[in-house]
Amino acid sequence: MRQRLLGLAYLSPYIIGLLVFTMIPFGVSFYLSFTDYNLMSSPKWSGLSNYIELFTSDRTFRKSLTVTLLYVFITVPLKLAFALFIAYILNYRLRFINFFRTAFYVPSILGGSIAIAVLWRYIFAGEGLVNMMLTGLGFEAVNWFGDPQNALFTITLLRCWQFGSAMVIFLAALQSVDKSLYEAAAIDGASKAHSFIFITIPLITPVIFFNLIMQMVQAFQEFNGPYIITQGGPLKSTYLLPLYIYDEAFKRFDMGYASAIAWVLFVIIMALTLLAFWSSKKWVYYAGDKRN
Amino acid sequence: MKNLIKSTLAFALATSALTGAATAADLRMSWWGGDSRHIATQEALKLCGEKYGHTVAPEFTGFSGYLEKLTTQMAGGTEPDIMQVNWPWLPLFSQDGEGFYDLNSLSETIDLSQWSAEELAATDIKGKLNGLSISTTGRVFFFNTTTMEDAGLPLPTTWEEFFATAAALREKMGEDHYLYNAGLDGARLLATLYMTQKTGQDLVDPDTNRVAWSVEDLTKAIDFYGEMVEKKAMNSIEQEAAAGNQYLYEKRDWASGKIVGSYEWDTTFFKFSDPLDEGEVLTATKPIKFADAVSDGIYRKASMLFAISKNTKNPQAAAQIINCMLNEPEGIDALKDTRGLPASQTAFDRLTDAGMIAPEILEANAIVMAASGPTLSPFNEHPEVMSIFSDTLEEYAYGMIQSDEAAEVIIDGVNKVLKGFDS
Repeated sequence: MRQRLLGLAYLSPYIIGLLVFTMIPFGVSFYLSFTDYNLMSSPKWSGLSNYIELFTSDRTFRKSLTVTLLYVFITVPLKLAFALFIAYILNYRLRFINFFRTAFYVPSILGGSIAIAVLWRYIFAGEGLVNMMLTGLGFEAVNWFGDPQNALFTITLLRCWQFGSAMVIFLAALQSVDKSLYEAAAIDGASKAHSFIFITIPLITPVIFFNLIMQMVQAFQEFNGPYIITQGGPLKSTYLLPLYIYDEAFKRFDMGYASAIAWVLFVIIMALTLLAFWSSKKWVYYAGDKRN
Repeated sequence: MKNLIKSTLAFALATSALTGAATAADLRMSWWGGDSRHIATQEALKLCGEKYGHTVAPEFTGFSGYLEKLTTQMAGGTEPDIMQVNWPWLPLFSQDGEGFYDLNSLSETIDLSQWSAEELAATDIKGKLNGLSISTTGRVFFFNTTTMEDAGLPLPTTWEEFFATAAALREKMGEDHYLYNAGLDGARLLATLYMTQKTGQDLVDPDTNRVAWSVEDLTKAIDFYGEMVEKKAMNSIEQEAAAGNQYLYEKRDWASGKIVGSYEWDTTFFKFSDPLDEGEVLTATKPIKFADAVSDGIYRKASMLFAISKNTKNPQAAAQIINCMLNEPEGIDALKDTRGLPASQTAFDRLTDAGMIAPEILEANAIVMAASGPTLSPFNEHPEVMSIFSDTLEEYAYGMIQSDEAAEVIIDGVNKVLKGFDS
């Protein structure tokens, strides 16, 4: 009994933190999503009106949702592929390999910061580094932020550039693959590409799955990049749902509506996560798996 | 010796008892601003705190995010005792006048006679004085006179001259020179300037609490903005956006004088003049007008207020600190013009007599104060009203909608916001 209490005592800071900073706000935001609440007066129950407005007459929500899904569906595969590619290279025993591993990881430490977003703005600005290089090579300068077709791409690149954490996890997975499998495949005449596709990829699918879920959830929550670089523009082409939630809550003081958007976003993330878990039965292989 | 100790203790107790009721308060004060304002305000709080025996904990930040923080604090009843509040936020926090402490009830501590009746009226909601205007500010045109002199061109005084000057500037100095600059908010201000000059009316009719402008007139105002871009007097929104979310004074073309003019707050003169390359001179000018303008259309307002929390436990102490900062030598000398030209008459006189206000700021402010125009409604800068303007003007600028449709969307959208504030 005493040991149980002691265990609970050790756990209590986490449990209290989870309750106060996660579960209670989680529940309260669900309640608020059914209210009209402007922060200055008490919430007024409004039933489903926020949700009805969201799905029937809110053009901004539709635009923002489309942009968010596009952003996630571009960013996540691109980032995972790039992280795996770099991890594969860094898995070789090259000279100064530890330096390169550290150097490639650094962007993910800095990546989410305001300073990097500001730097990104300067790199892709009209007279920024990228356009200087392009014009230097004889190409036309590109309006990265002013053209709605390009703006989302620059924000996407910022996210992909922060591939370090996914890369480190991939690297650990690659190093755990049994080398004898590659040797056996080589004896059977398999090329490097064949070994990668038929040995490496299946054996690291649990890590691909883990990275997929983590990156997808993080991508849906992206805020700093578009907020600092484009403020969601032009023409809302980078107006991700977290920016819309923020604007509704703190610029338009409509906390009820903002909560409703947040819950729609939560449901989307949850649905895609469940879909990923369901599909994982078909493509993720764990140690001791009896499937052929 | 015993008697001496007893007398000392008795004196100390008596003093603390006397001061305890009215003073010795622990207060909090929040504001936004830049480094110079932060340093000056902390100094003022230290001096005023020492004068009245209070301690004031400072809570300061940049403008970005301040409203969000204050809103959260106000919603939770944890706002500081003294707050710097933006004038357009009054309807958000105090629709019925009950959002802040009524300063009329502290008039024995705060010398309200230092503000004009017009200034006090600007911060009065339903008979409750919600705050004290720190300064009056307005938009003025800043022009890089060095570039204009190099081009051999005089500064335009009318919009008719403006377009001719813009064309001549490009012809003489090159295609990369623009007479003017406006982002999305600048486009809103241009449309507002057009309307206030042509009609003499502010966006909001105070009698009906609805948009005072007609769709036809606003269409012309939007067309005027379109003409500015079409005739290359300024960059398009698409070109502006190419720099990302960047301020004009951070741009290389501004520093080098390729972008010549802008329409900015009078108090921001040095923010725009400091980044200019050596030898480039910036000048504030009178409003550029239409030949048939009925007013100068000046965009003038109370810039910011000091307000006291309605939840404060120490209203008298907070009032003493505010009065000290705005009306007493310690506060005035410490704050100087870090919040613009003081609205308090005694502070204004003291700073001008001492030569503490830069002549450029005085000159810019004189233009603002002398110009005519309708009284502005705080709804001009209501966050939702501003975003309706900028979203719609952006769609117009990218050719997605026509000016008449944009005007209709703006008027309908703003009326919808105003309806939410009907009493």
